[in-house]
Amino acid sequence: MTREELISLFSPDLFIPNLKAKTRDKALMEMVDHAVEAGVIRDREVILGMLKNRESLGSTGLGSGVAFPHGRSLAIPKLMALLAVSKKGVDYGAIDGQPVNLFFMFIAPPVEKDNRYLPALGQVVELIRDDATREKLMALKKFDEFKVLLEGE
Amino acid sequence: MPTMSEHLLQLVALQDLDDMIRETKDQVHSNKLAEMGFEMEGMEDLQAARDELAGGIDKVLLSRYERTVKRLGRAVVPVTGNICLGCFAVIPTAYTSSENQDKILHCENCGRILYWPRGS
Repeated sequence: MTREELISLFSPDLFIPNLKAKTRDKALMEMVDHAVEAGVIRDREVILGMLKNRESLGSTGLGSGVAFPHGRSLAIPKLMALLAVSKKGVDYGAIDGQPVNLFFMFIAPPVEKDNRYLPALGQVVELIRDDATREKLMALKKFDEFKVLLEGE
Repeated sequence: MPTMSEHLLQLVALQDLDDMIRETKDQVHSNKLAEMGFEMEGMEDLQAARDELAGGIDKVLLSRYERTVKRLGRAVVPVTGNICLGCFAVIPTAYTSSENQDKILHCENCGRILYWPRGS
């Protein structure tokens, strides 16, 4: 997957610059509700249930203040990528026990023609391993800054 | 008592959970996620969630779901552009009429339960 293809998965409609939730379940709810309002998701409870089940398998909070809630659901017609920033941090049960400030949510249908779900997830995980990039992402205020940042990486 | 559309959403959630369990057991998939740093040690919790969800589903529907899974792999499939994505047969437009809104509908061709992710 090229960087342009990765950037194209995200959109201003699915960017939350100031997530208000303080706990894991409320953060998932706020992100899913945002996607419902954007018209990307209809059956909110199905998606929320899937994401919570995925977290019960092992936290998607990989440490250093970043989490990647993800999974597959019949309730999504095509791959969705949502980006959210929390200024205060969310108690997410991350593997390092630290609060999470940056969320990349990926939800894919059970079967994808172009199979972009895992490559996109892998590329973003790789991207945030760089301390400087991660700090810049955590300071995002506008969606355009995200695009510029990724285009420059 | 749940409505038919709530019954359908229970089956969709069950299908999601079964897909997650199947994917987690798949070594290639699990290895890819492990390489990214994701730990997946809660299979027992996932199985417990599956049992709880299945326990709340109407027995006749659950039995039909299980039989279809055994026969075809997936019991619930999305419909996109009037096409059943289980077998690619065309779904009659009459299926989406208001009188069908409180029914669980099956593909006439493959027998899978139909789900419209974006509504009808």
